[in-house]
Amino acid sequence: MEEDGALIINEKSNYKKMEGDSMKENGKCKTGIDELDRKLDGGIPKGNAVLMVGSSGSGKTTLCMQYLINGAEMGERGVFFTITEPLFKLTKNIENFGFYKKKYVEDGLVNIIDLRIISERLGLNSEKYNVEDASALLEVLKDIADELEVKRLVIDSITALCYRLQSDEMIRDFIFKLGSSLAGMGCTTILTSEIPPTKPGELKYSKYGIEEFIADGIIFLGDVNRRGDIIRTLQIIKMRGTSHSRTKSAMNISSKNGIELTPLLKSGE
Amino acid sequence: MILITNTLIDGLKERIANAVSTNQSTGIIIPSNNYSDLICSLFEYMDTKPDAIWVYLTITKPFESLFDDYSNLINNQNIIFIDCISHAAGISKEKSNCIYIESPSQLESILLEIMNSYKNTDDKKNKYLIIDSLSSLVIYNDAPLVTEFFTHLINRTRLSDITTISLTIEEELNDNIRKILYLKSDKIIKLKESFI
Ligand SMILES: Nc1ncnc2c1ncn2[C@@H]1O[C@H](COP(=O)(O)OP(=O)(O)O)[C@@H](O)[C@H]1O
Ligand SMILES: [Mg+2]
Repeated sequence: MEEDGALIINEKSNYKKMEGDSMKENGKCKTGIDELDRKLDGGIPKGNAVLMVGSSGSGKTTLCMQYLINGAEMGERGVFFTITEPLFKLTKNIENFGFYKKKYVEDGLVNIIDLRIISERLGLNSEKYNVEDASALLEVLKDIADELEVKRLVIDSITALCYRLQSDEMIRDFIFKLGSSLAGMGCTTILTSEIPPTKPGELKYSKYGIEEFIADGIIFLGDVNRRGDIIRTLQIIKMRGTSHSRTKSAMNISSKNGIELTPLLKSGE
Repeated sequence: MILITNTLIDGLKERIANAVSTNQSTGIIIPSNNYSDLICSLFEYMDTKPDAIWVYLTITKPFESLFDDYSNLINNQNIIFIDCISHAAGISKEKSNCIYIESPSQLESILLEIMNSYKNTDDKKNKYLIIDSLSSLVIYNDAPLVTEFFTHLINRTRLSDITTISLTIEEELNDNIRKILYLKSDKIIKLKESFI
């Protein structure tokens, strides 16, 4: 009986989710970054969990924030769980960008939550999680997302979260639980994955090698070297549920416009 | 002496005006000795169309020194400057109507910023782009890359109905750049030193 009720609530909220602005276009969740949406044939398929992979400074946090702010602009609520950066630092950085609109944070359309504060409140050791801690944290995450009825969810980063788990087995277990939780929530998720700067021929999309298995999509932020200058690049490695471009785009980060993409000149690769 | 110089600049200005009025993409090949005369005449030409939207891309000189004597151009809000060399040269003074690119090798960023500059501008106004200069890009980039860049750029400006004036300095020209300039320009103005 209880299960039946839960199912109905879930269906209702899914139905509501279908009405969001960005969903009107064949079930896609628009990132609001024009060229990226074009590459994705409209946007990220609704409900997908996407791994955003890149080394430190590649633009993962910025892109995720832009995704949430653009979502808010389309009337979609989002939540950003940070674990790599404290809240004040994150806000301070993001305030420098033209796309940032404080109003959305104040109005609760964009919610930024520090996972370390949550784990403190839960009485967890913030540096190391055991099995119960990890499940408790996951529950809270899910509760927050459900309560806020978010359509867009970001965890920055999955790497830092896994880092706090003590064995490969726990990591694997956690990742799969997270995967099924996300699938049940019906929101479109970006998980960031921080990897060391890549050496040629040794490309990995995640530190622990399993994060990518729960991902419906992988977006890779890399770079090309042009006479000693670094050109940022973005490439969609996989994306379930849509056709997409696989070519590398050049990625620009500016205070004025945040992240913008443009085709990468091929002679320069 | 002054008279001669003025005649030269006026003559240049007229040739530019004629070329630009009937061609969407004009290429100019100029000996380095006459570069400053050409710039003078270009600026004067720009000044005759203060209501048009202008984007001025500089790879030759920092924005500051280039427009030192042309405060009316600097203060015209319809002119957007894109400076590719101040940052790389360690010049950190920033002006609000100038967009700074980290280095002339960030060709994709240059493309992006050029096209962004025309966004949200009045559609009824004439739009112009000055590239100063195409040949200077080859100092910082491999020629095939510059060729590809210029091809993309002209394709996009044509689509958006933007009139381009592409300068090249004769001494910096190589075969690749000469070829692409001829290929992508509707009209070439070639100045010989004997012209003076
Ligand atoms: N206001 C800004 N204008 C332009 N670029 C910026 C600005 N702020 C940060 N950046 C660039 O973005 C990079 C950081 O991006 P970030 O999203 O924090 O990366 P990541 O989360 O992958 O570590 C910085 O290294 C810097 O180069
Ligand atoms: Mg980050």
